[in-house]
Amino acid sequence: MKNQLYYEDVSVGQEVPALKKSVNTVNITMYLATVWLMDRIHFDHPFATQRRGLPDVVAPGNMAGDYYVQLLTDWAGEKGGLRKLSIQFRNFMIPGDTLVCGGRITGKNIGEGKGWVELELWLKNQNGVNCVPGKGLVELPIRGAACY
Amino acid sequence: MAQSLLEELGWEKYIGQETGPYTGEPVLARDIRRYALAIDDLNPIYFDEEAARKGKYGGLTAPLNYISWAVGVPGSEKGAGELGEDGLSSFVGVPNIPDVWTLGWVRGGEELEFLQPVHVNDQVTVKGKIVDMSEKEGKSGKLVFVTSEFTYTNQKGAVLARHRITMIASPRKEVNQ
Repeated sequence: MKNQLYYEDVSVGQEVPALKKSVNTVNITMYLATVWLMDRIHFDHPFATQRRGLPDVVAPGNMAGDYYVQLLTDWAGEKGGLRKLSIQFRNFMIPGDTLVCGGRITGKNIGEGKGWVELELWLKNQNGVNCVPGKGLVELPIRGAACY
Repeated sequence: MAQSLLEELGWEKYIGQETGPYTGEPVLARDIRRYALAIDDLNPIYFDEEAARKGKYGGLTAPLNYISWAVGVPGSEKGAGELGEDGLSSFVGVPNIPDVWTLGWVRGGEELEFLQPVHVNDQVTVKGKIVDMSEKEGKSGKLVFVTSEFTYTNQKGAVLARHRITMIASPRKEVNQ
């Protein structure tokens, strides 16, 4: 298990180690099947492109939230966790995209005996387009705190 | 012709409309595993019961963003012939009001507050409310914004998450009819 990150270890301006995700039709199909989502723009190429004017089938927007959950759950570790996530859907994610999911600390404070870290988040494709910008609030344990 | 698409649709009276509560079936380990595989998040807390039992949640839990699907979208389980041509019958954040599918819908944005993850065997209940509607002139015409709030609780009544989602509706873009 990786070392636990503590509130004292992070500072404003610091970046979270980025997560790389590749968008492909296999993962999209797994997603649609497991949540029972039948929106044709996610799997029917002629419909998506010819009828809806999209560049390709598009990944479900929820997957962007999942990428941020992975990024920040892993970063916060066993004793921390993602508390709030706010995201804006700006550009579609399509098969073949390679995404860099990352974030930068914009603020930190202590409240209710816990360490809170605010982040600005990005999900940039290979063209540098931030498809789903966001903000996050992550809880980190405090090194001196007795409750741990 | 009405100036406002919202007025034309007559939707503003639905602001404040509540939906649910809807309660889902118990979440299976298989649901969690397949969801984690779909998003390619291979953290053992989603797959390995032994490892999860030693962790802070004491058992298998789902990736946090699974919450939107933990109940199942009410009304979505229909045969292919009963679905609209887009393949949709209902969707989280699209209000359950008349003529809603005469427009095309995309996601605008969402805010999630995660208090607890979904555990295996949880039965999640969702309650929702339409909290706001507004209108804007976009590049390609009028856009309607519908914001809803959802609260998810487990079978013990504990709040798992709060979700605020804004969906954007516009007259359907048919490219090649």
